Amino acid sequence: MAAVTFAQTTQRYPGSDRPAVDGLDLEIADGEFLVLVGPSGCGKSTSLRMLAGLEDVTEGSILIGGRDVTDLPPKDRDIAMVFQNYALYPHMTVGQNMGFALKIAGMDKAEISRRVADAAEILDLTEYLDRKPKALSGGQRQRVAMGRAIVRNPQVFLMDEPLSNLDAKLRVQTRTQIASLQRRLGVTTVYVTHDQVEAMTMGDRVAVLKDGVLQQVGTARELYDHPDNAFVAGFIGSPAMNLLPARVEGGEVVVGGLPIPLPAGVQASGEVLLGMRPEAVWPADAPTGLAVEIDVVEEIGADAFVYGRPQHATDQKTPFVVRVPGRGVPRAGQTLHLDVDPRQVHLFDPASGLRLG
Amino acid sequence: MTTTPVASAAPLTDGADPAATPTTASMGRRPRRPSASLASMGQRTFTGGLALLFLFPMLWAAVSSVSPQGGTAQTDGYGFANYETLANYQAGIGQYLLNSTIVSVLTVLLTVGVSLLGGYAFARFQFPGKNLLFLGTLAILMVPYATLLIPLYVLLNDLGMQNSLVGLALVLTMFQLPFATFMMRISFEAVPKELEEAALVDGCGSFTALVRVLLPAVRPGLITVGIFAFLAAWNDFITPLILISDSTKVPLPLAVANLRGQTMGIVDYGATEAGVVVLALPCVLIFLLLQRHYVRGFMSGALKG
Repeated sequence: MAAVTFAQTTQRYPGSDRPAVDGLDLEIADGEFLVLVGPSGCGKSTSLRMLAGLEDVTEGSILIGGRDVTDLPPKDRDIAMVFQNYALYPHMTVGQNMGFALKIAGMDKAEISRRVADAAEILDLTEYLDRKPKALSGGQRQRVAMGRAIVRNPQVFLMDEPLSNLDAKLRVQTRTQIASLQRRLGVTTVYVTHDQVEAMTMGDRVAVLKDGVLQQVGTARELYDHPDNAFVAGFIGSPAMNLLPARVEGGEVVVGGLPIPLPAGVQASGEVLLGMRPEAVWPADAPTGLAVEIDVVEEIGADAFVYGRPQHATDQKTPFVVRVPGRGVPRAGQTLHLDVDPRQVHLFDPASGLRLG
Repeated sequence: MTTTPVASAAPLTDGADPAATPTTASMGRRPRRPSASLASMGQRTFTGGLALLFLFPMLWAAVSSVSPQGGTAQTDGYGFANYETLANYQAGIGQYLLNSTIVSVLTVLLTVGVSLLGGYAFARFQFPGKNLLFLGTLAILMVPYATLLIPLYVLLNDLGMQNSLVGLALVLTMFQLPFATFMMRISFEAVPKELEEAALVDGCGSFTALVRVLLPAVRPGLITVGIFAFLAAWNDFITPLILISDSTKVPLPLAVANLRGQTMGIVDYGATEAGVVVLALPCVLIFLLLQRHYVRGFMSGALKG
């Protein structure tokens, strides 16, 4: 177990003018579960592969447990990796797959089979040890891939979207299993996903990347409550935060004619980007607030999500989302007047996207 | 186990009751429409006919090698006298079989070894001129085989390998490599890159990963390449004809051809047919043994590559 440090780590593919990962600075504590999240092409997988040694580092360095591993081959880094497609060795049984790394390391047979049996016990794979991967279901293969990582007892686990090939129900189950397994083993883990729900639920901390640049690192709560910029605000949370252009006039931010007091400590003037989570707005009693024409209503049981267009800005591309209680849900076609909780608004610079205040 | 009409629901595990099998079989066939079974019969007749057509020369050679015929060692009754003629011809069939085996095994080993590494490099590494080099390799296939033999003869002479079985194997390998490299490139490209990366992370170096993880994954391709190389080397006639001058060093096909014209233009057909049978047997055996992998090699190339 060890801490991991990315220090100004940059990766530039030959022939590409923009780096895939640009000056990544990230400290991952010993035993921490860190999730790298971002849209496709944001550099999250490249960062993980650099840590694994499968991708060259162009500039900067990577440290595992204080040791500079930047130029070491994967086999000398003491890491284990779970791949998106599991990459199980097709010609080996489940047991041989799990014991392969130990066999390569020259461990004696009795110790290998003891460790494999232990891991199989944890992952509920004992009865499948003699099967080939092709005779397993998707969920079982995923567990074998996990098993192959945990028998090693490595310094760091690397996981590259390990759940994306599972069906929705199994994904939710496995998500919890992986998170609790990691807590139990206490091995430093770097987990890559594009699914922000996975990111929020699994990790101790979440690092959001976009276009190869680290946007923000923090706990899921910090990212949700205090996004550093409009990208993080829009990316974290489901449904996404509503972002509308607004104006600051005399201590108030005005959107669609609705004045909202500026949050405490925010200095701003002129045009801003106003962010409101779907639960920070609610239908007003009087027809005075922010008017939204309803396009679609999504019932999800306890709550419902109302998707519409603000009347003052109908050219807005992304729909405006409101979370309403499941009883007395408004219908499509109606106009909804909304009140906004002034403590839950976020202001961003419209040009740079950076948080104001 | 008692057999009832619903026995098909129970797995036929032990086959203790032989009556169960026809019952299930006929039940399985019942839903089939008559036109379907007619079509399948037509298909079987057609493919069976084709098989017979291809087998006929083989069977004819086998039968006539043991049949009585004037001008051969087997003049009356069926027997193996022609094989005796063959066995005792000049240096003895053992020598010629040994020559053929040395050349074929060397060709297979060299082809498999070189195409394995070459295919891996073409599939996995990026290097300048890669496509040009690959096209160049394939272009060897377009040059008529016989035109290269004289320059190769001169080249081997310069290397001091003319009239040597190793030299012969090198030339035969060269003719195998374009297809073999192509085949191995496709095989490697069909293997997910992550498999190799998993091996690297698991503690393998590049070479260990190739041997322990990739090799099993491309085995069908390797077997296909190996069979091709073996058949080509074993059956080749013109290359040893040009390159081997010593009559004790010739491989079996050449020995059989020499035997054929042995006495004053009178052809000993019986001994020739015996030679054909001896030549064909190893090919048939190897093909039968490895057929399963051979077909899979083609499938993996066609579907995944």
